[in-house]
Amino acid sequence: MKWKAPPVNGEINVTPMADVMLVLLIIFMVITPMLQKGVSVDMARTENPRSMADADKEDAILLAITRDGRIFLGTTMIQPDGITSGVEEAVAEKLDKTVYVKGDARAKYGDVVTVVDGVRAAGVDHIGLLTDKIETEASPLEAAQAPVGSP
Amino acid sequence: MSMNVGGDKGAMSEINITPLIDVLLVLIIIFMVITPLVPKGLDALVPQPNPDAEPPKQDVVNRTVVVSIEDEYPITRKVKINQDEIDFRLLGSRLEDIFKTRSERVMFVRGAESLPFSDVAAVIDVAKGAGIDKIGLMTPKMMDGN
Repeated sequence: MKWKAPPVNGEINVTPMADVMLVLLIIFMVITPMLQKGVSVDMARTENPRSMADADKEDAILLAITRDGRIFLGTTMIQPDGITSGVEEAVAEKLDKTVYVKGDARAKYGDVVTVVDGVRAAGVDHIGLLTDKIETEASPLEAAQAPVGSP
Repeated sequence: MSMNVGGDKGAMSEINITPLIDVLLVLIIIFMVITPLVPKGLDALVPQPNPDAEPPKQDVVNRTVVVSIEDEYPITRKVKINQDEIDFRLLGSRLEDIFKTRSERVMFVRGAESLPFSDVAAVIDVAKGAGIDKIGLMTPKMMDGN
């Protein structure tokens, strides 16, 4: 009996790969918003920020100020007069007493100062103002002529 | 008699998923790049009240640099280094000049309450760029002296 071979299929079967990719994609899509700590605000953009890996840690104290002046400690909204007690409580058993302040670029500086004052009253003297880094390689002069956040 | 459809090549029943995979790959790469973004920021200090009530010495006061940003900054783009008004664009070089001969690079920033935070952040950014490592934020309570 003569066995006849089927026509050679020269294409790679990519269906399992597509399955894996889809699952990976969904995992990343689910994880990404969770990785962000605190409330998401539109941060100011600066040229010389230092990377603050500590702000990403589980126990980092993060204060966020939204554009409309609401203040969040972590993810809970607090009143301006509650900042000091909230930060004092959070900082009590920590060695690294740095508080991270995440201000919206368009938030009033007065609101930021209120937060800074509250943090200061809690006995913290190191704060980190979280910002985004400007990625474009603009010359300093150009960057100064068009300061970030200007109308 | 039968109609011959497509000969004996066999029907091609598979969807072409190659473009789908291309898109997915690109999306995955985008997400993988975004994920490990380390937060970045500017260090700032909030001076605590002086424990001994002694007022600071005169030469210390004289050396203190305070950059103030006034209400009209969004229009004029001018800030003040102590009492001297200076254009924001020249602030960096001016600060570099001032701190060239100093070992203690300390500066204070005072901003008007009505300003957007980004303007103050821009000034702190310039100061960081000029190599000032200790930037203190002045707050109303601090200026009241408690």
